[in-house]
Amino acid sequence: MLTKLEKKIISLIQGDIPITEYPYLEIAEKLGIAEETLLETLKSLRDRGVMRRFGATLRHQKSGFAANAMVAWKVDENRIDDVGQKMTSCKQVSHCYRRNPSKEWSYNLYTMVHAGNEESCREIVRNLAKETSVDTYTLLFSRRELKKTSMKYFSTP
Amino acid sequence: MLPIDDTDRTILNRIQSDFPITSRPYLSIADNLGLSENDVLKRLSRLKKKSIIRRIGGNFVPEKLGFVSTLCAAKVPEDQIDCFAMTVNRYPGVTHNYKRDSKFNIWFTFIAPSMEEINRNLETISQETGVTDIINLPATKVFKIKAHFDL
Repeated sequence: MLTKLEKKIISLIQGDIPITEYPYLEIAEKLGIAEETLLETLKSLRDRGVMRRFGATLRHQKSGFAANAMVAWKVDENRIDDVGQKMTSCKQVSHCYRRNPSKEWSYNLYTMVHAGNEESCREIVRNLAKETSVDTYTLLFSRRELKKTSMKYFSTP
Repeated sequence: MLPIDDTDRTILNRIQSDFPITSRPYLSIADNLGLSENDVLKRLSRLKKKSIIRRIGGNFVPEKLGFVSTLCAAKVPEDQIDCFAMTVNRYPGVTHNYKRDSKFNIWFTFIAPSMEEINRNLETISQETGVTDIINLPATKVFKIKAHFDL
């Protein structure tokens, strides 16, 4: 599926690329490959959809999005595609997934909502509920960040 | 409110996705926005130092790399949260972990080569911490993943 070289490149590019004139050249030199090979491989990983996004990750709290709520919704399975689609069209919704409900937790649709403060989050969620006619849901505000990192794939320990 | 000006904002909006894959990416961005490469480098270094930028790099789809990912939730007594978090966070595949207000009060994401491995790890976590209420909620459908924030 992935070549050895691709895995090596992923293990470096999943980190932080330098803020210098020739960042790719620096990475290529670390890998012992030509800069052109690195650029071509990156484009291929992007075009094949292996790399979902390439760019800067911001700290929301520091960039004006202080509040984030996970919202768990209980949606009629017959309507879930329709409701999921509707939710995704909302700009403040960053993630939307269907997950299997369980005995202790009967929700089946999950969204992440981002806004400047909690009240704005609540208002966005009230509107989503109204637009989709889903009235069983719960807002789970994050109260403490216990870990936040990026996955390290194929890293050699 | 934010220690950033309009030019910073324009640069940040430009580089959250589609970061140029060209020999001098910061020059491409500068040309794009009518700035100098030096200005872009200086501003980005500052935004990085101020931790407004966490990192610049690639984000991958776990499933396309032969991994699986899931969301887990646990019911943890208030006075055991630190200990539970320490046990869970030890796994490199646990990338996000938050305390949230709900009966399931700890929510973490888990990435690993297989769901069997994740289930084994959850079993181990239960044994080590005594927390038995842990649910595993893998996504069965992804409607949206977006990580671009208009500033």
